[in-house]
Amino acid sequence: MEPITIGLIVSAVMLLMVILGMRVAFAAGLAGFLGLIWIFWAKKNYGIDDFGWALTVAAKTAGQVPHSKVTTQALSLIPTFILIGYLAYYAGLTQALFEAAKRWIAWVPGGLAVSTIFATAGFAAVSGASVATAAVFARIAIPEMLKIGYDKKFAAGVVAAGGTLASLIPPSAILVIYAIIVEQDVGKLLLAGFLPGVFSAIVYGALIIGMAMMIKGFGPPVKGFTWKERFESLPPALPILVVVATIILFVYNPFGGDAWGTPTEGGAIGAFVVFCMALWRGMRWPQLKDALLETAKLSVMIFTIIWGVLIYVRFLGFADLPGAFSDWITGLEQSPMLTLVFILLAYAVLGMFMDAIGMLLLTLPVVYPAVMALNGGEFVSAADSTFGMSGPMCAIWFGILVVKMAEFCLITPPIGLNCFVVAGVRDDLSVQDVFKGVTPFFIADAVTIALLVAFPMIVLWLPMQAVG
Amino acid sequence: TEWNVSVWGKRRAFTEHVERLAELVSEKTNGEFTMNISYGGLSKNRENLDGISIGAFEMAQFCAGYHRDKNPTITVLELPFLGVNTLAEEVAVSHAVYGHPAVQADLARWNARLLMTSPMPQYNIVGTGEARDELGEFDGMRVRATGGIGKAFEAVGGVPTSVTATEAYNAMESGVVDTVAFAQHAHLAFRTIDIADWWTENLNPGTVNCPVVVNTDAYDALSDSEREALDSSVDEAITHYLENYGELLARWDGILEEKGVERVTLSEGELAQFRATAADPIREQWITDMSAQGIPAQELYDLVQSTLAAQRN
Amino acid sequence: MAGNSAVREDDSLLSRLDRKLLKLETILALISGLAVFSLMIFAVVSVTGRNAINQPLPGYVDWIEQVLPVIAFMGVAYTQRHGGHIRMDIVIGLLKGRALWLAEIITVLAMLILMIFLVWGSWAHFDRSFDFAAPLWSRDSSIDIGIPLWPAKLLAPVAFSVLCLRLVLQLWGYTRAFITNDPAPVAVPLIQSAAEQAQEEALHVSDLNTGKGQ
Ligand code: NA
Ligand code: NA
Repeated sequence: MEPITIGLIVSAVMLLMVILGMRVAFAAGLAGFLGLIWIFWAKKNYGIDDFGWALTVAAKTAGQVPHSKVTTQALSLIPTFILIGYLAYYAGLTQALFEAAKRWIAWVPGGLAVSTIFATAGFAAVSGASVATAAVFARIAIPEMLKIGYDKKFAAGVVAAGGTLASLIPPSAILVIYAIIVEQDVGKLLLAGFLPGVFSAIVYGALIIGMAMMIKGFGPPVKGFTWKERFESLPPALPILVVVATIILFVYNPFGGDAWGTPTEGGAIGAFVVFCMALWRGMRWPQLKDALLETAKLSVMIFTIIWGVLIYVRFLGFADLPGAFSDWITGLEQSPMLTLVFILLAYAVLGMFMDAIGMLLLTLPVVYPAVMALNGGEFVSAADSTFGMSGPMCAIWFGILVVKMAEFCLITPPIGLNCFVVAGVRDDLSVQDVFKGVTPFFIADAVTIALLVAFPMIVLWLPMQAVG
Repeated sequence: TEWNVSVWGKRRAFTEHVERLAELVSEKTNGEFTMNISYGGLSKNRENLDGISIGAFEMAQFCAGYHRDKNPTITVLELPFLGVNTLAEEVAVSHAVYGHPAVQADLARWNARLLMTSPMPQYNIVGTGEARDELGEFDGMRVRATGGIGKAFEAVGGVPTSVTATEAYNAMESGVVDTVAFAQHAHLAFRTIDIADWWTENLNPGTVNCPVVVNTDAYDALSDSEREALDSSVDEAITHYLENYGELLARWDGILEEKGVERVTLSEGELAQFRATAADPIREQWITDMSAQGIPAQELYDLVQSTLAAQRN
Repeated sequence: MAGNSAVREDDSLLSRLDRKLLKLETILALISGLAVFSLMIFAVVSVTGRNAINQPLPGYVDWIEQVLPVIAFMGVAYTQRHGGHIRMDIVIGLLKGRALWLAEIITVLAMLILMIFLVWGSWAHFDRSFDFAAPLWSRDSSIDIGIPLWPAKLLAPVAFSVLCLRLVLQLWGYTRAFITNDPAPVAVPLIQSAAEQAQEEALHVSDLNTGKGQ
């Protein structure tokens, strides 16, 4: 049997195991291991005596992967980004942000909802995970919106949607994972997420203002804060700026001259800043221990899925499935842009049923080379390319698109995790209520994604500045 | 027979002999013996020897400096200031060392058989800002350099900093390192030349040794005609590599001019001082350490020097 | 679909073993958390060293690469104990009673088989880098400052062995539930609807929030 056929069969078996509820990391690892046995045995023409050899080689090849693949320096960003998020609670940053956003922005139509969006965007700058952001703001923002007469479902929808911003605006665990899978520069990807994240927040804000002006009885603006009150709200939120500035300065120095270090250092220093802040706000060993254990658990979950999937990817390397898939994609007789749109739509469907990290890890090893081939290859220049951007830029653009797609799936039924979280925090809201409330934001996200596809410069402008 | 070959990065001057070898072998056996070259799909570059030892693939390329402890004997070729001047000399000394029984025994632990080298010119450095053309200016210089070359810079006050080849560009751009030591093709492939202001043309601190090996069992399992096709193609593959690299070196002056990179020449006095500070102590230390492990270190070093002498006559 | 699941306890032998193993797993997970903390310290030392006295932490990258396996592997069994490795539970969430326990038995058994082979394979990976005869017992060292790699490589088979123990306990728990048709067995993470899981996650976040002392 041809290696590619083996690759397809094993991939189908893996999807079956995932659907049947096997834990994703181990389903991928097992599929990869079985696939390796098959490939090596096939090489010896399935001789009975050779099975033992094939099994040994497969076990040893798979057994290399966990250590080999987790010792990638850039991966250290994942635990540090997660730790920043946990420490930020103890540093009292969430409440401070919401208060500041309220005092500065809430005077516009739909003001409190708009403030919530921008407060989540601000918190996104210290939080690497969407779900955590939604959970925190469901407690802080929803009661305030209800107090002044917002529709309950809509208020919940605002928080669920706002939470998704955390994965675009750096730091973002999922962008790091993308960068590592596709072997692109982590720093540039993190930079690239910034503008689309802010852009998404603006689109959300515009949508809310539009709705507030059209719909009667929508939540009223909140006015009457004095400038003194406004400025007083800033200092407690200031550490966020320090963290953002630290991470940015370590990736790219906007004032010219050298950056201060590498992104991996930037993430760790950012965590240190929040750590000092949390110490100052009264965090002690019991809370720190809790934060460390939670960080460890989440990091282990992500690392396990990374090495599990990479065992499968190692098998794919031997089966050369990614090569075959990209040959097929580039051989299609339709416009490459249409193919790209189909790929994004496929992610939307898959994302209805799967978790974002699992979805990206399982699909990117095959899909990413195909998209790169579609653009004209990994090392193509902008002039010779299909989408009008160089290979590395296409990698960044596609990364932001799929991550935005994965985030979109966090608010779509049936498995919109952010909506579950918000409903979980509020006893008075069912999951269906939150899905209803978040519906307008689907439209906003669809518009955002269409604009990111049509105007890649929204994504690429910032990383291009960093190239210098 | 179909062999899987594990290399890394993208196709470049550094992998041309492997590509050529695959073509030649296939031609000579009328497609009976083919090689499937994978750029990074089968293994991490630092674990190619592990893959060979397991038998996951049949041929692989690696660099001795990636893992000194895995291949202590070959590191003789990465000692600073060995005095190798041309790629042809690099091939000669490498293959002489590969032929030594102690080296073959070293690699036999990995079930590996040395096939050929991937000769590379001297790892001269590029840097940004003011050109460093005196030894004193190397003091405190953060330099991306591995193995013996890193040790050499350390001996004159430099700070060797570890970043992988793929991260070198970012490290230099962000100021994590001031200078990067690479062969010419790598300065091009990893784009360090794009942000450099100067390049040392005669520092010649040493180079990295990157053999191509085959799995011994797979080699023994070849039919006589296949083995003959493989063995007889090595010289031709190397010749192709040298020609290809030669073209790159011929273009080098033009590339420097085009990118506006200044050529920095160190005076003979500075170089002599560098060698005295770095070369001798590092070599002595290497010989002591390796001899303690039961490796005929002095003999290997002498073999390099005698091969060089023979090559020049 | 991530998150924690409740694990019931009683004073059966299985549950006592479960709690004993949990103690070990918790210690390992805390080591993993402390390793995350050390990343922060390494960065502070390296950055200050480089910028203040032009003396970066020698082999900064090498050290990071030794710490990462500690973070990645040590908590792997702890996470499995709490049902924290993500899965898709749309299908399995529809099952009840014996059908559910049978499905769990099959997937846990599949995991156990994989992990046994990975203990072997990762041990072999360690073994290739370890040699009693070599200086520092090292047959493979880091690229920059030559730290022996065998300790970090050894972490994988050790942590995977603990995971195998955990999987054996879970297999036992699910099998017992299958035989007795127990709706709420001990020592295994009980499946929760996504909404319940989210609630628990949200509760945890609020714990963190109230813990900040405001
Ligand atoms: Na974020
Ligand atoms: Na969804």
